[in-house]
Amino acid sequence: MNDQWTARLSEYLDGELAPAEQTALEAHLVSCDACRTTLEELRRVVTNARALDDRPPAADLWPAVAARIGVSSRLKARPVVRRLSFTVPQLAAASVVLALLSGSAAWLIVRRGTAPTPPVLVSERAPALRNASAYPGDVRFDAQVADLERALARGRGRLDTATVRVIERNLRIIDRAIRGAQSALAADPANSYLNLHLAQEMRRKLELLRQAATLAGARS
Amino acid sequence: MVLTTPGVATLRRDPDQRALGDAETADAALAASGDGRAFERLYRAHVARVHSLVRRMVGPDHADDIAQDVFVRAWTKLGTFRGEAAFGTWLHRVAVNVILARRTTLGTERSRYVDSADVLDGVAGRAAAPELSMDFEEAIGRLPDGARQVFVLHDVEGYRHEEIADMLGIVAGTSKSQLHHARMALRRHLER
Repeated sequence: MNDQWTARLSEYLDGELAPAEQTALEAHLVSCDACRTTLEELRRVVTNARALDDRPPAADLWPAVAARIGVSSRLKARPVVRRLSFTVPQLAAASVVLALLSGSAAWLIVRRGTAPTPPVLVSERAPALRNASAYPGDVRFDAQVADLERALARGRGRLDTATVRVIERNLRIIDRAIRGAQSALAADPANSYLNLHLAQEMRRKLELLRQAATLAGARS
Repeated sequence: MVLTTPGVATLRRDPDQRALGDAETADAALAASGDGRAFERLYRAHVARVHSLVRRMVGPDHADDIAQDVFVRAWTKLGTFRGEAAFGTWLHRVAVNVILARRTTLGTERSRYVDSADVLDGVAGRAAAPELSMDFEEAIGRLPDGARQVFVLHDVEGYRHEEIADMLGIVAGTSKSQLHHARMALRRHLER
């Protein structure tokens, strides 16, 4: 199979033939089994190409990148064992501390009359643990959370509504994951995977809140 | 050479990732001010995408080095990211620039874009023998440099022939021809 139309099949597939050529090729395809088969194979090649999965490098490149740009690798430097050491009571205790911090922050903002919007940009359906630290007991981290909430409250009015919707939608997604992990942990409190998963989701939420606050500040 | 916006979405992302685009814009702003943690988050979100692009374009031997170069270049160029496009799209352009700049040192120059199907016979021939089950991505890697890069840029990354021609310093007709030859060779590696 190698007739005059074979070399034009990719252009036909990509819709790049002139109308007259396209009509002629389609007429040819009716009577040429080989070209029809080849066209279908080419179509599958394109489909395969678009479905290729991305794979990370075998070895983490970040340490080398970090060294070249002169920054530390702090995300990787966090000891994993610390994430595995959480328990539900610890997380609950952290939530109480953060609730107090959040309440104090809100009170201060309202008292000063500088907050045009509610102090916390989260869904009303957010669970009680929604602002708990991913690193319970880390007072500095907890303080950063309180700072974040104040910054977000100040800047929320500067975010456009589409951005707020995106943030709130993602917070709801994360909240669902947190609630799911909490429910599972209630049945299996010692499960290290569930503890890690819960901590990661809570950290994810905190990261999103932090980024949202930054975005609000950046647009001021 | 000026890189243009790809004709098709350059970074295929799921809805959740798209929804976090604003967060990445914020991280890019933080990174531009020297926040290494923010840049590491961006690195971890995009390293698989960047490394896969590099690996497909230049092969596995130099992929790690060039992927590092991409992120180092991105770090130095963060000040030019205005948030008008998604960070991933901007990073993709940086990556393509770095890859194409490295083509010269890797020996993949314009002379490799010979408009001939002969160089592809080897790929097809090998596939017909014991390696019929060769992984599709491995088969891409066995294409000659020119055909492979055109195929990756067009069929995987979604660039148009005119854009590819501009990037690679060839004419659009050569890009179309190389693409067709690449597809013809690769169809023999499809799973039966």
